[in-house]
Amino acid sequence: MLELYHWEPNIFFLKPLVALAEKGEPYTAHYFDPTSFQQFEPDFPATDESSLHLEREGPVLVDDGTVIASSFFMLEYIAEAFAGPALMPSSPYGRYLVHAWGQTIALSVANAVAMLGCARHLAPTLRLRPSQDLKTRLASIEPLERRLAWTAVLDRSEADAAAAARGQLASPLRRIEAALTSSPWLAGTEYSIADIDAFAMLAPLPELAPELVNASATPHIAAFLARMHARPAVRAALALTRTGRPAHAFVPGPESARWG
Amino acid sequence: MSAMVTLYHWEPNANSGKPMLTLAEKGVEYQSHYLDLLKFDQHQPEYLRINPDGTIPAMVHGDLVLTESTPMMEYIDDAFPGPPLRPSDPRLRWRMRWWMRFFDSYFAPSLSMIGWSIFIGPAVRQRDPEELRAAIDRIPLESRRIAWRKAIYNEFSEQELAESRRRVVFATDVLEAHLRRNTWICGDAYSLGDINGFNLGYALPLSQPERCNDQRTPHIMEWLRKIYERPATRATWSKGRTQMAARVKMLERSVQP
Repeated sequence: MLELYHWEPNIFFLKPLVALAEKGEPYTAHYFDPTSFQQFEPDFPATDESSLHLEREGPVLVDDGTVIASSFFMLEYIAEAFAGPALMPSSPYGRYLVHAWGQTIALSVANAVAMLGCARHLAPTLRLRPSQDLKTRLASIEPLERRLAWTAVLDRSEADAAAAARGQLASPLRRIEAALTSSPWLAGTEYSIADIDAFAMLAPLPELAPELVNASATPHIAAFLARMHARPAVRAALALTRTGRPAHAFVPGPESARWG
Repeated sequence: MSAMVTLYHWEPNANSGKPMLTLAEKGVEYQSHYLDLLKFDQHQPEYLRINPDGTIPAMVHGDLVLTESTPMMEYIDDAFPGPPLRPSDPRLRWRMRWWMRFFDSYFAPSLSMIGWSIFIGPAVRQRDPEELRAAIDRIPLESRRIAWRKAIYNEFSEQELAESRRRVVFATDVLEAHLRRNTWICGDAYSLGDINGFNLGYALPLSQPERCNDQRTPHIMEWLRKIYERPATRATWSKGRTQMAARVKMLERSVQP
């Protein structure tokens, strides 16, 4: 049996929802709210690996008992394990590009987008809660890296988040814009999980950082986002929202590089 | 594929060693271009024509250029005949990729921060200050400029170093627990996950002797020694030119650490 634990169709949670829809693979959905910290409860599916802190919060796929976490590696799993469209390029170099884009999105884009979205949407809702209860809850999060990610959401102002995110995003956005100038999809002429991965993380930017992603500064990214929005699988995934505002649903992402 | 393979690399260590050992395990002949990282060969114009980011390694296969070391390992396994280095079961492939990311973005940055503060910074600081400043200014990527500046001028804060030490201890224990239950990173078969982990960790018994040794982490020690005994590992580490790569010899079973 295939089960997907997910929240609103946005950022990390959006990726497997789109990929499973592209594959036409049936699954049982378990909707949970990470801002109520259900993912730290003992009955939430977890392994030593998934409970570590590489992506912080995200969807969990359980395939006949095997726990698959980390949203880009989950996309690779969905591409390789299920029938339906390949979602991977047909050449080894195209597949290399998919792996390389997955790395860029996870290490250079996800942190900045999650930071912007958390400052705009998550922090104000957390601040409405009784502060002592929240502090006690956050203090019990293990491991340390995930606890610090949640407390950082409360401590960071939107202006600070915006300044940090702008610095981090400039170079990867330039690369993505350049790649989409020469081909319709990130890994070349074939649609792949790299496009699903990038779309899930870039889609919030026209609203969160309109100065960075817009039709004149990044015309090819803007056209790419429109192409993705037109796909039936993307429409089906976005229609799974329960709040009606999936673009406001954010969780802390992976940390930025420790050296920079 | 018969197109020629050229690899631009430094010592068999960290990111350079990943494609070197993968190519050796697959039995792929390649033309080797050694770049001296400490002399900033990777920021010279002739190399920037291959990889404008100025990072090592880079692999050229026919007219294709690859510059990300972990995706490069998957490419080598994907594009060439030879023994498969990725499991065919997607669940095990997921595990291999999870561990490579854990090595690449959790374990390695902490370990290298300690290594750079102790070895690379002091070694490079011997040079003429003006020459060094010019060398740093030539680094194309801002993130790499910041990293080199920190290493050369010893700008790591005590807090950063303490956090790196904490993470190295934590990650070493996570790895030991994993290898207690699994012969290799993916279970029963040697894979890219082991190649990646060896490049990160072959010198742990020397750099972290109180944390990684036969008493405290016997499964890591046995795993490192088994990888060291593979012919491809011997052949790859024999291409090392410095004391850095020579550290691998402490994995000889006759050496008592």
